[in-house]
Amino acid sequence: MVPISWYLILSAVLFSIGVAAFFIKRNIITVFMSIELMLNAVNLTFVGFAQQWHEVSGQIFVFFVMVVAAAEAAVGLAIIIAVFRARSTLNVDQIDLMKL
Amino acid sequence: MNPMPVSVSYSELLRLTWPEIAVTLAGILILALDLTVLRRASLAARLRSGVAIACAGCIAALFLLGYSDAFASLPGSMLVITPLTHVVQMALLALAIFTLLLSFSIRFTSHIGEYFALILFATVAMMFLVATQNLLLIFVALEFLSLSLYILTGFDKHSRQSAEAALKYFLFGGMSAGFLLFGMSLLYGLSGSIELPKIAAALSGPAPGPGYDPLLWVAIVMVAIGFGFKIAAAPFHLWAPDAYQGAPTVSAGFLASSSKVASFFIFAQVVAVALAPVAGSGAARAYTPGWVPTLILIAALSMVVGNLAALAQTSLRRLLAYSAIGHAGYMLLGIIAHSPRGLSALLYYVITYALAVVGAFGVLGALESEGIDRIADLAGLSKRAPGLALCLLIFLLSLAGIPPLSGFFAKFYIFSAALESEPHLGLLWLILLAVAMSAVSLYYYLRVLKAAYVAPAPLDQPKLRIAPATRLTLWILAALVVLVGCAPSLLLNSLGIR
Repeated sequence: MVPISWYLILSAVLFSIGVAAFFIKRNIITVFMSIELMLNAVNLTFVGFAQQWHEVSGQIFVFFVMVVAAAEAAVGLAIIIAVFRARSTLNVDQIDLMKL
Repeated sequence: MNPMPVSVSYSELLRLTWPEIAVTLAGILILALDLTVLRRASLAARLRSGVAIACAGCIAALFLLGYSDAFASLPGSMLVITPLTHVVQMALLALAIFTLLLSFSIRFTSHIGEYFALILFATVAMMFLVATQNLLLIFVALEFLSLSLYILTGFDKHSRQSAEAALKYFLFGGMSAGFLLFGMSLLYGLSGSIELPKIAAALSGPAPGPGYDPLLWVAIVMVAIGFGFKIAAAPFHLWAPDAYQGAPTVSAGFLASSSKVASFFIFAQVVAVALAPVAGSGAARAYTPGWVPTLILIAALSMVVGNLAALAQTSLRRLLAYSAIGHAGYMLLGIIAHSPRGLSALLYYVITYALAVVGAFGVLGALESEGIDRIADLAGLSKRAPGLALCLLIFLLSLAGIPPLSGFFAKFYIFSAALESEPHLGLLWLILLAVAMSAVSLYYYLRVLKAAYVAPAPLDQPKLRIAPATRLTLWILAALVVLVGCAPSLLLNSLGIR
C-alpha cells in the first residue's frame, strides 16, 4: 500500500504549483486555472486522509469541493467576460484602473 | 475510527431553519415576481415592491428567530444554535434590512429582482455560517456567501471599475478559499473528523505521532491565511481597497459590514473551538507557539498598514477601505484573547462597527449620486446638506472611537479583554500599539470632517437632494450608534458581558 506521506507530498507539490502560477501567470484564464489546481490538490489530501482514517466524510467533502468549484467557474467566467467586454484584454497587468 | 450512522430528523431540521427558509422564500418570490408580474412596471415600482418583499422576509425571519429555541443542535455539529448565534443572526438580518432600505435609490441597474435576491441569499449564507460547527458546512456557506458577494461587486455592468473590482475580489477570494480548504483538509487528517469539537478533542489527546506536528503548524497558518483574506487583514488585504472603490456603493457597504460580522464570528469559532488545545501564547516573556502568536503578527501588521495607508488616501471609499483593514487588526484582538469575554467584546465591536460602516457608505452613496467622491469635494457639505454632514460626523467619530459613541466602548472592551487574557500584562505592547494607531486614525477621520465642516464652501452650490428613505435610514443608523454608545448594556447583556 502507498503510504499517506506520498499523497501529501504530491498534493503539497500541486498546491505550490497552483500558488506559484497564481502569482506568475499574466493571463486571467490561466490564473483562474491555477486556483482550480489548488482546489484539486486539496481534494487529493482529503481522499488520502479519508482512506487512512477509513472514514467517509473526507470523501463527501471532495464532492462538495467539486460542486463549489463548478459554481465558482460559472461566476468567475461571467466576471471575466464582463472584464473583457469593458477592457478588451485578458492581461492582468493591463487591468489597473484603480491604484493606491 | 468507527463510522457511526448519523441520522438527521428532517422535521427537526425544518423546525430549526425556519428563519433561513423565510429569507430564502422572500428571495425566490422577488425573483419570480420581478420576472413575471412586474415585468412591464416602472423601475421605481419594481424597486418599491422589491424592497418591501425583501424587508418583509427579513422581519419575518427576525420574529421566527425570537420564537425559536435558545439552545439546539443537530447531529454532526451541523447546526449549533446558542443565544449568541441568535444575536449574531439578528444583527445580520438588521444589517440586511438597512442595506435594502439604502438601495431604494439605486440607479445603476435594471435587474432589480436579481440584485435584491442576491442580497437575501448572501444573508442566508451568513446565517448558516454563524450557526454551524462543521467544517463542510462552514466551507459551503462561506463559498455561497463569497459567490453572492462577487456578483454584487460586479453588478454595475456599465462601470469598468465595477468589473475590475469584481475580478480582483474573485481571484483573491478563490485563492483564499484554496488556502482555507488546505488548512481544513490537514485538520481533518490530524483528527479524523470535520466537527470542530471533535477536532479539539483529537488534538488535545496524546499526539498521534511525532511526524504530525509540522502538519498542525501548516494547518494553523493555512487557516489563518484563508480567513485573513476574508476579513481583509494585512498582508492579505490587497483586494479590499479596489473592491470597496469599484463596487456599487450599496454592495460595498454590505460587503464591508455584514460579511465582516459573519466572517469574524466563524473565524473566532474555528480557532477558539477546534484549535483550543494549541492556542499558544504571544506574551512578551512567555512565548509558546500556537495560533495566538500567528494572529498577533497579523493583527499588529493590519493595524500599522491599514492606518498608515489610510493617511495617504484622497478617495473617501479607499480611506474607508484602509481604515477597515486597521479595524480588522483591532478586532483580531478579541480572537487573540480567546476567552468568552473576548468573544463578546469582539461581537460588540464588529456589530457597532458594521452599523457605522453601513451608515458611512449610505452617506457616500447619497453624495456620489451628486458626483462627490474625493475628500476635497466635501467642502461646504455642512451648508449644502446639514443633516447628511451630521450623520457623517457621528459615523466617522464612532469609527475613530470618540467617547459617547459606540466605537469608544467597543475599543475599550476589546482592549481590556485582550489585556486580561495574559497574566502580568503580557500583551501590553500590542495594546499600546493599538491605542497609538487609534490616535493615528483620528487624524484621517478628522481630515474628512474638516473638509465637510470647516473648509470654505465654493459659492453658489445648490442644496443636495436626498431621497427620503435614505435620509430616514441614515438617521436611524446614527441614532443606533449613539444609543448603543450611551447605553452599551443594551447590546452587551445579550452578548454575555455584565
